[in-house]
Amino acid sequence: MLRLIANSLLRRRWQSIATVLGVALGAGLLLAVFLLYRGFDQGLERGRQRLGADLLVVPSNATVDPDKALFAGSPLSVYMDSKFANEARKIPGVRNVEAQFFTQSLHLECCSIGVETRLIGIEAQVTGRLAKMSPEGRDKLEDDEVIVGSELFAGIGKSGALVELLGGIFRVAFRLEATGTALDYSILMPMESARNLAASSEALKAVWQEAGDPHRLISALLVEVTDPSRIQEVGRSLEGLGPLKVIRAADTFQRFKRLMDAFVFVLAAAGLLTALGGVAYLLGHFSSVAWDRKGEWALYRALGASKPRMVQLVVGESTALALGGATLGLPLGYALYRIAFARLASQNAFPFVAPGGALLLGAATGALLFYGVIGFLSAAGPALRVAQLEPALTMAQGDID
Amino acid sequence: MSAQSQILLEAQNVSRVYGSETILDNVSLKVCSGEVTTIVGPSGSGKTTLLALLALLLEPSSGKILVAERDTAALSDRERSQLRNEFYGFIFQSAQLVGALTVLDNVLLPALLAGKAREKRKAARELLDRLGLGARADFLPHQLSLGQKRRVALARALLLRPAVVLADEPTNDLDPRRASQVADFLLQLPKEGYALVLVTHDRQLAARAGNRWEIHEGKLTPPIGGSDSSFEPHVERIRQTANNGKP
Repeated sequence: MLRLIANSLLRRRWQSIATVLGVALGAGLLLAVFLLYRGFDQGLERGRQRLGADLLVVPSNATVDPDKALFAGSPLSVYMDSKFANEARKIPGVRNVEAQFFTQSLHLECCSIGVETRLIGIEAQVTGRLAKMSPEGRDKLEDDEVIVGSELFAGIGKSGALVELLGGIFRVAFRLEATGTALDYSILMPMESARNLAASSEALKAVWQEAGDPHRLISALLVEVTDPSRIQEVGRSLEGLGPLKVIRAADTFQRFKRLMDAFVFVLAAAGLLTALGGVAYLLGHFSSVAWDRKGEWALYRALGASKPRMVQLVVGESTALALGGATLGLPLGYALYRIAFARLASQNAFPFVAPGGALLLGAATGALLFYGVIGFLSAAGPALRVAQLEPALTMAQGDID
Repeated sequence: MSAQSQILLEAQNVSRVYGSETILDNVSLKVCSGEVTTIVGPSGSGKTTLLALLALLLEPSSGKILVAERDTAALSDRERSQLRNEFYGFIFQSAQLVGALTVLDNVLLPALLAGKAREKRKAARELLDRLGLGARADFLPHQLSLGQKRRVALARALLLRPAVVLADEPTNDLDPRRASQVADFLLQLPKEGYALVLVTHDRQLAARAGNRWEIHEGKLTPPIGGSDSSFEPHVERIRQTANNGKP
């Protein structure tokens, strides 16, 4: 029977190719949409976990896109007096304050990676945020240690490796998990180390002449409150400290989540429509095949094919076409996903976490199973009709070639 | 029926009714091994319906079809299908070849459906050689002439060495030379032990085949005398019956 199915499909080469391509496009689109959906979903969750603060405080003159600052991890090359960190810590209702210092983009002398690389000074030893990021639960970063983004120093940026940054030698403490944001292209180091590098940079001298001594500057404060109900109150107090702008993470997160939900909905709807389109396409195709080839099917019946055998033949053809199409569609879908991912990553517009190997394998297997099942189901009705064909039909028909 | 032949197929008082129209009326017929059974009659007389009933392609409205003395009414679809596959060889009015399959695969079709293609491949090639089509085994049907197609259908019918070969107008549309070749081949089959049921309105073929049964308006009349020369008067008698005794 397999040979009969294979022969039939191979001899109807163009018809088979058209069907396989139709299924391949559907399966590829479905896989790409699913991977993008999962990437966004994980990225959003990762962004929420990474935030770890209720309020973001920046200088009032900073042009800030809260979404990018909070979720896409875009550093702000703006500066304010570091005294605001200590003053913020004294405000009632504040549990924790972490200052961050951003420099301009760095050019990596020794290991150019061809993308903009940012250097961020953090107070990891103070806030314990380091422990949340570290796979080993570390709570202190040594002066000569750095944390590298997931996309930097590929192959050599393992824990303990030495890297050269603007003439200084640093040891990689650990590599961050992928976030799909600018953080993936950032280097985090103790704040004083970052300030020292920034101060000695010839390219940044003009910046410090205007902003002041970098050792007395910070770029942003991440503030955690003791009680979520006091966020508004703490925010107002922070704004009262000076020319500061306070961004409420919850508001931003909610707005961002709504945006992401809408985006994910569009993707999910596209995926669903693609799947339904695949079902409709195969159903139409095999209904048509059942009708167009009824002379052939009746001949099979006359020559001794039982009803179950007829069902096997028709369903076998459809399942083979569907599985063949889905198999071809998988690399197409993956390529489409990679293209979309590369474009999104270059924009840092959305947090996006590339799905891992297990998810890729699961998605590919799922797509194959899905199209195998819809190939089977879409041919089931036509196959049952074919099985009911009167074999005597063949006596009354003309040539079927 | 000769002493050594056995009854392979039998219709007992078979009728077939479509709505209010009776296509076959109380027909009885025995088909024996090594013999030819020729059924002649005008178009619309019920020849093809009778053949379809004998072939288990249709079920009778009343009466019985017995295969090797077994009533087929109680058979399941699977059993009937298996009989059609193994017990019968079909030659339809048109060649009924599958355009998507090669000549060889068309011949192998009954074996493909039975899952025996591998073991029957050699037999299929031998049949094609015997019918002068060995060089065209890999052709597609549209590359063959009408006569060649008919010979492919013959090979397909004989592949699984069926007990009964049913041929419906096997020389239809063929030129006299091709028709004669096909007839020669077919009429050899009883000598090889096959039972041949031949439905035709080709008088020459019917005359050569002998054992002619006449069918008219669904009624089957057995051979009279068995002589080839009885053909014309017998047809004439049927015509007269149809015309209320007028010549």
